[in-house]
Amino acid sequence: MSKLISDQEFATFREFFYRKTGIKFEDTKRYFVDKRLLERVRETGNDTFREYFTTLRFQASGEELQHLTNLLTVNETYFMREDYQFDCLVKSILPEICKTHDRSKPIRIWCIPSSSGEEPYSIAMWLLERWPGINQWDVELIASDIDTGILNTARQGLYSERSIRLIPPSWKTRYFSRVGLQYQLCDDLRSAVEFTHVNLSNVADVRRYRPIDVIFCRNLLIYFDDVSRKAAAEAMFDVMAPGAFICLGHSESMGRISPLFKVRKFPGAIVYQKPLEES
Amino acid sequence: MALVKRTHDDNLPSEQQAGTPKTLEELQQQLQGSHPLERRQAAQDIVDHEGATALLLAQLERETSAVVRQVILTSLTRIGDRDAVFGLAECLRSEDARLRNDAIEAMKEMPDQMAEIVEELLADDDPDVRIFTVNILESLRHPHVEQWLIDVLDHDDHLNVVCTALDLMGEVGTEAAIPALQRVGSRYEDEAYVQFAADMALKRIQSSAE
Repeated sequence: MSKLISDQEFATFREFFYRKTGIKFEDTKRYFVDKRLLERVRETGNDTFREYFTTLRFQASGEELQHLTNLLTVNETYFMREDYQFDCLVKSILPEICKTHDRSKPIRIWCIPSSSGEEPYSIAMWLLERWPGINQWDVELIASDIDTGILNTARQGLYSERSIRLIPPSWKTRYFSRVGLQYQLCDDLRSAVEFTHVNLSNVADVRRYRPIDVIFCRNLLIYFDDVSRKAAAEAMFDVMAPGAFICLGHSESMGRISPLFKVRKFPGAIVYQKPLEES
Repeated sequence: MALVKRTHDDNLPSEQQAGTPKTLEELQQQLQGSHPLERRQAAQDIVDHEGATALLLAQLERETSAVVRQVILTSLTRIGDRDAVFGLAECLRSEDARLRNDAIEAMKEMPDQMAEIVEELLADDDPDVRIFTVNILESLRHPHVEQWLIDVLDHDDHLNVVCTALDLMGEVGTEAAIPALQRVGSRYEDEAYVQFAADMALKRIQSSAE
């Protein structure tokens, strides 16, 4: 088996993967990508990258592309990460949404990417512990990811000490039980979040979630190039209800991605809003 | 009231829609629909169809919603073919300032395709088109930007185009631009602004080279 991937092959693969997922690898990621590609060449029984790439491109089921996507996406996170936004959610965003929301319909919150579940479960806890409105409103929590493997991990709800270190002790007691060296999230919370597979570059995938009231899309768009980032923002704009909000990661700014959203400066965080009426 | 699971029935219509790809003719019709959401979705869905560029460009010209226009521009950027970049270049002649600005922003995202027509645009009879092209160069990530600006300084005979290029050269110029900056000073020795901007650019380049 050839142990190398040529510059031309890498460029061809990068373009293909970008078209399929919106994720673009810079040259600095070459080692990371090559290592995983060669692993898949070997494990799928191909002799060369070229043979493997043919399978990847033309396999009708898309199974190998999914497998590779799972390997090439980064899933490092932890509970209560950037929790000032959760605070903003319960103190500013939800109270504003409740002013105009149809009371007979649930408020829908969408986390993308879900990664291994820390973010949506953190939001669930925050709502139950810190938002009195949970007694008057139904809330649907949906969490999606392009990586099918990580979705299964998220559904299991089993976490390390490191992952849960920022959770207040009383919440830890309430929602987790210790299993060996790990912590098992309780069934009530696990069943409160719906985990689904979504490719943000596929608008048909995204449209199924309309109407969304709040999106948490943190530290995902940084992996996209400018055009895919803009297309992803527009896909999210489409599924948002008028007046809905989107929260990005602390280093991300919607102003640099798309002009469609309004900036909202709340006491706890800067978030972005779909205008109530389209211009 | 509590955390609840999504009721899938609520979403059946959109899930069904998502499963049935539309033909180019259907999307063409939808692109001219009465509701902005309809038009936005058509502009997104049409990207993979052959012949999409012409339909998107036609809709771009008549589109009244700023949001739909953004989606059309993103789709044209994603398609990124020669027709798309030529069509956007035509928008530079529009009287509609918003359309012109939107087209400029979109073309900045297409450095390789733009590179193929920059020289043609910089030779356009209309000085406004040449000025807008220099505006695009401002954010175009392409290694030839400086050389294109040097060509403008050396050859363009319209003062406003030259001044626009000079302003930009002050930001992006390197030592390679020094001779052209000296020549443009001589070419327009009676124009105080050219003298000032060329001096500024030269000082900046020389100080950053030290």
